[in-house]
Amino acid sequence: MMGMKRIYKNQLLFIVALFAVALYLFPLYWMYTTSLKTDTAIFAIPPQLLPSSPQWQTYIDVWNGSNIVRYMSNSVFIATGVTLVTVIFGSGASYVLARYRNVWIDISLFTVLMLQVLPPSLMVTPIFVAFASIGLLEYPRIATILAFSAKTMPFFVILCRAAFMTIPRELEEAALVDGNSRAGAFVMIVLPLARNGILVAALLIFMQGFGEYVYSASLISDNRLQPASIGMTNYLQPNIVTWNSIMAFAAIYITPILAAFVLLQRHIVNGLTSGALK
Amino acid sequence: MKACAKWIRDGIGFDALLIAMALTYLLAFAGLPLLYNIIISFQVVDMFSLNQLFHEFAGWDNYIEVFHDPAAAEVLWNTTLFTIVSVFFQFTLGFALALFFNQKFPGATWFRGLFLAGWVMPGLVVGVLWNWLLSGDFGVINWTLETLGIIGEPIFWRSDVDYSLISVILANIWYGVPFNMILLSVGLAGIPEDLYEAAALDGATALQKFTTITLPMMRSTIGAVIALGIIFTLQQFDLFAAITSGGPAGSSLVAQYWSWELSFRQFEFGRGAVIAVLMIVVVLGVTVFYVRSTRQETRL
Repeated sequence: MMGMKRIYKNQLLFIVALFAVALYLFPLYWMYTTSLKTDTAIFAIPPQLLPSSPQWQTYIDVWNGSNIVRYMSNSVFIATGVTLVTVIFGSGASYVLARYRNVWIDISLFTVLMLQVLPPSLMVTPIFVAFASIGLLEYPRIATILAFSAKTMPFFVILCRAAFMTIPRELEEAALVDGNSRAGAFVMIVLPLARNGILVAALLIFMQGFGEYVYSASLISDNRLQPASIGMTNYLQPNIVTWNSIMAFAAIYITPILAAFVLLQRHIVNGLTSGALK
Repeated sequence: MKACAKWIRDGIGFDALLIAMALTYLLAFAGLPLLYNIIISFQVVDMFSLNQLFHEFAGWDNYIEVFHDPAAAEVLWNTTLFTIVSVFFQFTLGFALALFFNQKFPGATWFRGLFLAGWVMPGLVVGVLWNWLLSGDFGVINWTLETLGIIGEPIFWRSDVDYSLISVILANIWYGVPFNMILLSVGLAGIPEDLYEAAALDGATALQKFTTITLPMMRSTIGAVIALGIIFTLQQFDLFAAITSGGPAGSSLVAQYWSWELSFRQFEFGRGAVIAVLMIVVVLGVTVFYVRSTRQETRL
């Protein structure tokens, strides 16, 4: 009898969960649905849950007529730069912060936590004025990468520190006994063991760089160098009623992120939950 | 020279070098701007003086202008309202979902993970999706509310001064719920199962278990999550840029958007810096609270 009750309860919970997820993800569903509707069907009352005749042509028109390819390559450029800077400068520090426990480590960790919280829309004023005076705005995408990496690095360090903490000290000590230098043990033993954690954190940083808006909007004035987040706002203004095209633009922009998320969902959730609160 | 190389390759110098790389970078691109921000809040910085690093001294003029600005009171009110309402609903909805998914049923972890799809989206795109959902004439939210009989005529969410801030709050709640839920799930998973079993033997009801076990055990997690929620909400900029741009007539203007608008729309960098200085003081205050909560967490 208890078994049957348990099964019914599980089924009920499953249905409630399905409903909650569907309700939450509705905005994403609505984006894809709208993008496939005709120019008149988007304004139908009552709204159509499914497009009666899917208009794939909209995607082709947006792809060819909105500079989205150029915008997205700029997004990839910025995201790659941010990820490289963050990983190169941040990985070693997260290892050290995981390895020791003393007052200096506490101070460093506290500094990192403090810098994580600075709002970009407030930091961009001094950064813009400083970059303008030293000539860095001549290279606006590099300027964006340098500025945004200071924002992503603390988050990366906190996530990676959790990954390094799971690696037993004995493995590294064994490598040292075998005659490795500290640097050798770090590169040959510790880094490979922490690989998954670092990769997940790097992926999250890449996603943030791919969607970055504040620094790009403030530091990049040349339209040809702007990323897709700015491209999206540029595209909105003249097309304010053609919601199907706007949603197609959005869908092209974020589908790579969503695909990466769906494929790596388990790793992303694990990486976040192990690092987030520790 | 050789000893130095060996110290870095093989001694404590190796650790010092690794941590110095990150801290130097952060000092250069976050620490120095932080100080420079304070300096330019006391200077006259406009388009003509941009190419020099130091500008004419302005005394307290920028601060006085900001406090005497007619928008200041409304911005303060909007920022407070935006933060409190957003954090309240992000937290309660996130906690409810975390408790729900904490019941062990098949697929619970997978379903819970799907919520993070909202969290990984660019803020600007989230704003644009909500623009369409909240559209006055053809928005699906208005249609649903009218069909259910909750409202008699469409609400023009983004262009009505009474609703513009609510539009951004709605989008921000949607955006922030997954992160709250995940962090709270981590806290829930850390509560030992036998506490509940012991309470069940004593005949405790579900509500009693919640108030006498779950809430006390979650205290430091809850503190940290709320502090983080405030910090992230005070950082929220993209949704304002996408949904209302602070309008109409300043009805959804918050401090973090106002600072940017003064600097990059009106080119009053000094006054933009003033608001940045004041806001950063608030954010750092909340962070001290957050760090204290997480420290208790690790000691438990």
